[in-house]
Amino acid sequence: MNGRAVMALALALALAAVLLPRAVRAQPDAPTPRSGLELPVREVVLDNGMRFFLLPRPGAPTVAFVVQYRVGGVDEAPGTTGLAHLLEHLLFKGTTTIGTTDVAAERAWFARMDAVHDSLRHERAAPTPDTARLAQWAARIAALEDSARAHTVPNAFDRILARNGARGLNASTTAEATTYHVELPANRAELWFALEADRMRSPVFRELHVERDVVLEERRMRVETTPGGLLHEALLAHAFTIHPYGQPVVGVPSDLEAITRAQVKAHHRRHYGARNATVAIVGDLDPDQMARWAEEYFGDLPPGDPPPLVTTREPEQRGRRDIRVVFDAGGPSALLGWRVPSIHDDDAPALAVLASLLAGGRSSRLHRRLVDQERLVTGVTASMGPGELFPRLFIIGVTPRSPHTVAEVEAALAHELEALRRTPPSPAEVGRVQRQIEAGRVRRLQSSLGLAFQLAGSASLLGDWRATFEFAERMAAVRPVDIQRVVERHFRDDRLTVVTLVPRTTPGEGAAR
Amino acid sequence: MRFRSIAVFLLLLGGGALDPLPAQRPDSAAPPPPEGRSLVEALTFPPLHFDPPPVREAVVLGVPVFHLDDPTLPLVDLLVRFEGGYAHFPRADYAAATAFPSLLRGGGTRARTPDEVEAGIDSLAIQLTFGSGGGALSSTLNTLTETLDPAVQLWWSMLLEPRFDTAVVEVWRGRRLEEARRSGDDPATFAFAHFNRIMYGDHPIGWDLTADDLGPAALTPARLRALHRQIVCRENLTLGVAGDLRWEQAVERLRRLIEQVPPCPAPLPPQPEPTLREGGGVVVIPRPLEQSVVVLAHATDLTQADDPAWFASRIGDAILGTGGLSSRLMSRLRTREGLVYSASSFWTTPREHPGLVGVTTRTAPGTTTAALRLTLEMLEEMTRTAPTPTEVAEAVAEQVNGFVFAFDSPATIVARRMTYHALGLPDDWLERTVAGTAAVTPEAIREVFGAHLDPSRMTILVVGDPDRLDAPLETLGVGPVVVIDPATPSAPSGSPRSRR
Repeated sequence: MNGRAVMALALALALAAVLLPRAVRAQPDAPTPRSGLELPVREVVLDNGMRFFLLPRPGAPTVAFVVQYRVGGVDEAPGTTGLAHLLEHLLFKGTTTIGTTDVAAERAWFARMDAVHDSLRHERAAPTPDTARLAQWAARIAALEDSARAHTVPNAFDRILARNGARGLNASTTAEATTYHVELPANRAELWFALEADRMRSPVFRELHVERDVVLEERRMRVETTPGGLLHEALLAHAFTIHPYGQPVVGVPSDLEAITRAQVKAHHRRHYGARNATVAIVGDLDPDQMARWAEEYFGDLPPGDPPPLVTTREPEQRGRRDIRVVFDAGGPSALLGWRVPSIHDDDAPALAVLASLLAGGRSSRLHRRLVDQERLVTGVTASMGPGELFPRLFIIGVTPRSPHTVAEVEAALAHELEALRRTPPSPAEVGRVQRQIEAGRVRRLQSSLGLAFQLAGSASLLGDWRATFEFAERMAAVRPVDIQRVVERHFRDDRLTVVTLVPRTTPGEGAAR
Repeated sequence: MRFRSIAVFLLLLGGGALDPLPAQRPDSAAPPPPEGRSLVEALTFPPLHFDPPPVREAVVLGVPVFHLDDPTLPLVDLLVRFEGGYAHFPRADYAAATAFPSLLRGGGTRARTPDEVEAGIDSLAIQLTFGSGGGALSSTLNTLTETLDPAVQLWWSMLLEPRFDTAVVEVWRGRRLEEARRSGDDPATFAFAHFNRIMYGDHPIGWDLTADDLGPAALTPARLRALHRQIVCRENLTLGVAGDLRWEQAVERLRRLIEQVPPCPAPLPPQPEPTLREGGGVVVIPRPLEQSVVVLAHATDLTQADDPAWFASRIGDAILGTGGLSSRLMSRLRTREGLVYSASSFWTTPREHPGLVGVTTRTAPGTTTAALRLTLEMLEEMTRTAPTPTEVAEAVAEQVNGFVFAFDSPATIVARRMTYHALGLPDDWLERTVAGTAAVTPEAIREVFGAHLDPSRMTILVVGDPDRLDAPLETLGVGPVVVIDPATPSAPSGSPRSRR
């Protein structure tokens, strides 16, 4: 058996083993799934449109829960960047009954502090804001938050889950989705249904003005004090001048400071209906019981409206864009982003294989050339983003080794791309990359939480839980000439945006090294 | 050779046995609670039926071996741990010891070039990890049962017969030199490295790779091979096997593998005992950043042991700052004040030398002193007043109810047993942990924090912009404020140090 055959068998066996419960595998005649498409996923669709994907799997008695709403940064109007992410934070604050001792009293304080916030917003927008008045109003809002807090039970949602042994309670917001996840001991699975249904039905956006400050701190940590964060934000902002992919999901400070409770409520009402929610539950579970609880706890939720369309399209780029970002860093780095089509395009599988062929591991082309042979960089990455559903970027990131420059690295990179334009990669090289991708995918599925993420994301964004498995099969079918074609078609200089991080040499000044 | 039962564990996992907060449940005189909370509080949970799989402990040719047979998946994990990390050797060997994981993984073997090794890994679809710390070198192999023997043969040759290909060594050296140049790019990593240097001085815990460590003499073939002989040898070895391999199938294979491992030329040099900075004070490393990184801690001599004080320290630490959003630090600094995105406490309790108890967080320059003042107040409160029974019950319930996650995979279970063995902990440590955790009381927490935590002894490091602070750091009252050069930060001179 040659290496490729061993690998193919290995991956099929691993997939079957990872995904089938022990009882099923014990039956000699039970069909063995040869791909993720044959997983015993049970789909439950409630009358209100809410979808559940249930997958039992072997392992410790734990269950992973993922609920994904198809709402993210692309759904934010200009001036409200960060709204989806702020809402994600606020949905951990409790409900009309969880996290409060008197929700009516709380709401009375909300009205008063929101009125002060409205005055604050207007003053900030004035041509010459009165800083003393701004400070006075900010202090007033803080005092009113304290008054409202007299009626709250802080972090009650988190505490209930924690004392029941939950692990990994968290959430994330991307350009296209907001995802909440947690794992529970299997005997406590019903707790998730009770809490999540209550959170969907009766959220209270308490502690809004304090949480706004928390998000500003998160932004400072992830973007403003991190070379990678600064570069990524600058790349998106300059590559997408019109499309909302150019907006930072975490928001810009002036927008975050101006968001109102009414906007938060409206965003929740608009995007958190049952039909926009997709749930995946994976682990030591009884699908019949899960289906019953789904109906019992979520069946009476209103369906809500379908997700609004994002109709804006980025105009064609008509020339290379070069941007410099100055930061207190020890050396330069750069992101190069080429405009490429969405995941729905026929070229998407070949572009995904290309990303691995260029920078997926030690044997990739760019790693071998730039890191090992010419020693121009310490590291190189390739990825696509910031989302999947709209035309996006193929992003290559490089960190030059002193004394080499971004320009030298870019020249070597251009040479590699030109080589692919002239000559397709060998079938052996493409096959190796495809096996690496498949192996990585199978191993990620060993985690219940990983599987739940894949099922929910696939169904929520692409319409079918099988879609990402189908995409994997399309990647496995990519031929060398497909790689050559997508390089020729998409890697054009007039579609390129380059953002270079320039180390600050003196205060207020930057210079390339 | 023996198996351990986990009876205590099973008992405690019984449904609802550790649900705390009776005070929060509605009493009969109160008005009916609103629907959402009442639904949640009315839930009852069945007992969790779970038999943790037994781990076999054996000695094969003098080498401790841990084995867990789990045929659920046709996969086998092998795990090795060789005692001997950089902390056992002089600074001249620091770079070489640090390089081992990368060079064993990518540097080829005596019989195969790096490219040939890569091709072998690719064709067998195996997954390998290599890692090292101050105390040990570790590696894991994950393979399908079907390809077990060729996979183990390749992996074993990578461990035992490394080529240390000179081109690969040079690439590693160049990358680490560049990383040293960029050591300030991530402010948090920068702060932690310098805090360790300030606290531990010229002890391996305080070391950080610099250009001086990475000179041509640091990574010669002779140095790498000499170090390899001292670490990768039989007396340093512990082995683990988990997955689809019965003991009867495993034992002869293990014997053949161990026979290939040479005896150690000499016992490992002991790790030096650190002398930690004492006396408190504030150190500032000025950086033009939009957010300060704050680390504060002092030495502590509490040691991990089957001791009520140690279990109390774990639960107390969870209440203070490792318990997520519900911890005191997060509840106050984030939820109430909006000063931080994240804040956490840490209390390290090494078996062989003093550890650190402290806090780390990040906040805007204009709220740095306020956040530090609140943090010190919360630390002081932990020393004076016992946590509430509800806080303790919740923290205990979180640990005990969530212990089932300790059995996520066979490899996790075996790796944990190998760690217990390395630390000299009893092999029923998990059961003891469950029992010890469940027995923690509020007063025990107050006692252990009162005995081991002293906010006035804190060394506080602030990496950030001192010109934009909300108030002078001197107003914290924890000692002098020393500003050091960000280009060459080092421990403030004359810092007194403590030795346990």
